[in-house]
Amino acid sequence: MTSVEGSSRSARGLLSSVGASWMRAPYPALVVDALGSVVEINARAADLFPAAVPGTALAEVAPDWLVDGHRRAVRGGSGAVDTVRGRHGPWTLAAHATLGAGGEVVWWLVDETDRSLAEAALRTEQERTAFLADASSRLLASLNVERCMELAVELATAYLADAAVLVTPAAGKRHPLASCVGGAVVHRSVRLDPATVPGLAEALRGFPPVPSRWIDPAVLPEWAVPDGFAGPVGSVVVTPLPGHGVPAGALILLRRSDHAAFDASEEVFARVFAARAGAALSAARLYREQSGITAALMAELLPPSLRQVHGVEFAGGYRTSTDTERVGGDFYDVHPGAGPGDETLAVLGDVCGKGLEAAVLTGKIRSTLQALLPLADDHQHLLSLLNGALLSSRHTRFATLVLASVRRRSGATRLRLTSAGHPLPLIVRADGTVREAATSGTLIGALPEVRAHTAEVDLGPGETCLLFTDGVTEARGGPLGDAMFGDARLQAALAECAGMPAEAVVERIQMLVAAWIGDNRHDDIAVMAITTPRTTHLAAVDGRTPGRYTA
Amino acid sequence: MTDTTAVENDGAVLTHARAALWQAVCDRDEYAAGQAVFTALDAGAAVEDVLLDVVAGVQHKVGREWAADRFTVAQEHAATAIHDRVIAAMAHRAPPAPPREPAGTVTVACVDGEWHALPARLLAEVLRHRGHRVDFLGAQVPTPHLIAHLHRTAPDVVALSSSLPVRLPDAHSAITAVQALGIPVLVGGAAFGDDGRHARLLGADAWAPDARAAADLLARGLPRPVPGAIRQRVDDLPHLIDQEYSLVLRGKRQLVRDTLAGLEERLPAMRAYTEAQRERTAEDVAHIVDFLSCALYADDSRLFTGFLDWTGDILEARRVPARVLDPGLALLQDLLKDFPRSLDFLTRGRAVLAARTAPARVPEPGAPA
Amino acid sequence: MTTLPGDAFLLTSALDDDGDARIRITGDLDWDTADELTAAAETFLAADPPPRRLRLDCAGMTLCDSLGLAALLMIHRGAAGTGTRFHLDNRPAALQRLLDITGTAHLFTEP
Repeated sequence: MTSVEGSSRSARGLLSSVGASWMRAPYPALVVDALGSVVEINARAADLFPAAVPGTALAEVAPDWLVDGHRRAVRGGSGAVDTVRGRHGPWTLAAHATLGAGGEVVWWLVDETDRSLAEAALRTEQERTAFLADASSRLLASLNVERCMELAVELATAYLADAAVLVTPAAGKRHPLASCVGGAVVHRSVRLDPATVPGLAEALRGFPPVPSRWIDPAVLPEWAVPDGFAGPVGSVVVTPLPGHGVPAGALILLRRSDHAAFDASEEVFARVFAARAGAALSAARLYREQSGITAALMAELLPPSLRQVHGVEFAGGYRTSTDTERVGGDFYDVHPGAGPGDETLAVLGDVCGKGLEAAVLTGKIRSTLQALLPLADDHQHLLSLLNGALLSSRHTRFATLVLASVRRRSGATRLRLTSAGHPLPLIVRADGTVREAATSGTLIGALPEVRAHTAEVDLGPGETCLLFTDGVTEARGGPLGDAMFGDARLQAALAECAGMPAEAVVERIQMLVAAWIGDNRHDDIAVMAITTPRTTHLAAVDGRTPGRYTA
Repeated sequence: MTDTTAVENDGAVLTHARAALWQAVCDRDEYAAGQAVFTALDAGAAVEDVLLDVVAGVQHKVGREWAADRFTVAQEHAATAIHDRVIAAMAHRAPPAPPREPAGTVTVACVDGEWHALPARLLAEVLRHRGHRVDFLGAQVPTPHLIAHLHRTAPDVVALSSSLPVRLPDAHSAITAVQALGIPVLVGGAAFGDDGRHARLLGADAWAPDARAAADLLARGLPRPVPGAIRQRVDDLPHLIDQEYSLVLRGKRQLVRDTLAGLEERLPAMRAYTEAQRERTAEDVAHIVDFLSCALYADDSRLFTGFLDWTGDILEARRVPARVLDPGLALLQDLLKDFPRSLDFLTRGRAVLAARTAPARVPEPGAPA
Repeated sequence: MTTLPGDAFLLTSALDDDGDARIRITGDLDWDTADELTAAAETFLAADPPPRRLRLDCAGMTLCDSLGLAALLMIHRGAAGTGTRFHLDNRPAALQRLLDITGTAHLFTEP
């Protein structure tokens, strides 16, 4: 220790102030005089600056930032410089200055390498977290598969790679691909052999779970490099997109050779991103499958759009319940007669209960009625057969319906109407009077025997027969909020509909009921108007004579 | 088309077709209606011009005639039905060219609660003829149904139509929900104001005053909004923070009841009303509250005063003085005395009624039938 | 403000001295409550010997929807199997109307 003290010369005064033990200090320290020469250097500082011995110029042995800091410290005097920072070799250092009386400065050096690495990592991590949060909200916003694929490759190129190719499992013999380079997304459908890209087949199978892998750019097939990718491929990573139990696809990320290759932390990050994209993509696929099934079911269950048949107008309107699990109770159908002289059979009904069970029962009724069409001459007989087909020992779920057999005669339309336990059809005369059809009968599907009475009605030009479900009359609302629409309001509304075309009658009733309901909950609502037209129709609408109309 | 004679001829053809279609609609003669438009098409008129200058023109006139009490509700509905069939027949006769690549896919729909589907349908037909692939969802599309459709089809743009200002809150939900999917929204219809101010207020990506302007805008394309960006109502409409809108909306039933009770007290004649007359009166009061709450929503007094002015015209066309509306407004002022914005709108509304000199004016369509 | 009917559903069952089973219903007979009524009726019908008559007092019934009617038909079917007569007493107007429209009024004989 004494040798250390003995070795100090010109900086005596300073050394006495900082104490003799400074040479043993755990921090590197060096003393530099006002002219920039190294006066003293302790053991640790000597490790950092091996060329620095007392007498050498600081500028020859230390980095510029320290030389510059020293100059400012000397010039500015006490308090001018507290701490300067900079890199030196592999280290990041902070240098703290203590000014001596003779203008010399003791520089205490603190190694901040780990801290600055940690801070950089943190910044990267924060950016990545922000990116992932943003990516998730964008990816999850759309349940459309193509949009989701587009977003995944766009986001991947924005942050991870120069180009990205998303490969999804084969649809038929082709694999749908989305690729992005320079912000432009292209969708393709490609016949490809997943085995040609190492790791791709496993990623697309989703089992066994595979990590993402670096692959040799040289083995990349042509389809995997998007058009517009500038320059040779430098590095490639294939990352599986894990779905919910099913593989959603794989993401191929490409970097140009003039870019740094993927490092380990980036590869982990890519995997986390892929997990989010995969989750979003599989949600979109699941939605597509579900909605496809629902759409197919609905197409079966939803009423047909109606038009003129053999000189009679048919129009229907259907509004499903606001209560989604309660949809499926009402239905209507029109079975056109074979020729102008034959009867057309219209049916409107309401199945007890809601949801899938009701939908199944509705489907059964509609298909059974289709099969029984040749027997429509006798409504009573047809209803007995339908009743027999629907009876079940397990439950008493029933349906109510109205059958209308319709035939245009020269000036008027002849209707045979039968209610099977259903609200009675209303007849709107040309003068605006409204009457219930004189039919009655038993509901269908719950009792061993059913009976029914059929009414015959003639409709003159501009006259309408309205079939409806109780969703109309039992709709709750009105200006005071809780009254039933009821029979009286329906009949008053219909009185204004004399002379209107069938679609206009349906639209009018639907509008009034919707206005009545306002924002209240409601049941299924179905209406059908059967009208004798006042004038001849545009035949082009029937599709018989494309492009022209006939008298 | 730059030839002046051709333009003049076109003009004459369209004028003639309009007159013929108007006559056919008055006669409720669908055959003659078809003849009117096909004659124009045979004479070389463009499909778009026939749709917008003939069919839409006549439909507009029908609305004016109804407002002036020269057309019944039945005639109005019958006219709409005839126009629907004419449009269908035109589409059948002149199928649009198959979509070319650059023209994007468009979903056209009416806002929930909007029954006037014809303007949206005309736009759909115009876009089809300009080469877009179009899904027309029709009148009254509940927002969840619209969103489900968009998830399935992912169109480039959604075009939303609304004629009723009381549907602005529904339009707002639809706009933000569609934009959150990353799909831009173009809006149109009387509800958004004659200068599109309510479209801007609700954050729509674009607004068009008519179908041609809408088609021109869509031809240029709209940028996609950032998907997943969830906007709250109050982000667009900071005035909603005072909760007046939601309180008036929630208290609507009670407001209507109390106003009705107050009217009976003040106007002895009302006590002799039949049940149906009472219900009409209740409906009128409910309408006033609806328009008051939509004015609160948009924070635009003109929505309320405009409605009262329009209703005044409708009443006077039916020989009812507009001042019958005043006692209801006065009662609402009493009931809403703790709501400064409502009070302001009601005061302005009463002033508008008081200033009316009751000339025989022909009102524009666009409010509830 | 307005409490919607159906908030309170209550079944009170009793067997009177002359062997008639009685159920009093209060509230809505619908999707949510129909099974409960069917179960209560089945308890009576499963007795040995079964009751001669099953009376449902409908005075407190605030609503009967199609599933409610299905439950009444199910009870009617069960009662027919055990030789029990099933009555609907004190029918509200809406219930009577539903029975008339559906052609089922004759099944639930008046006492």
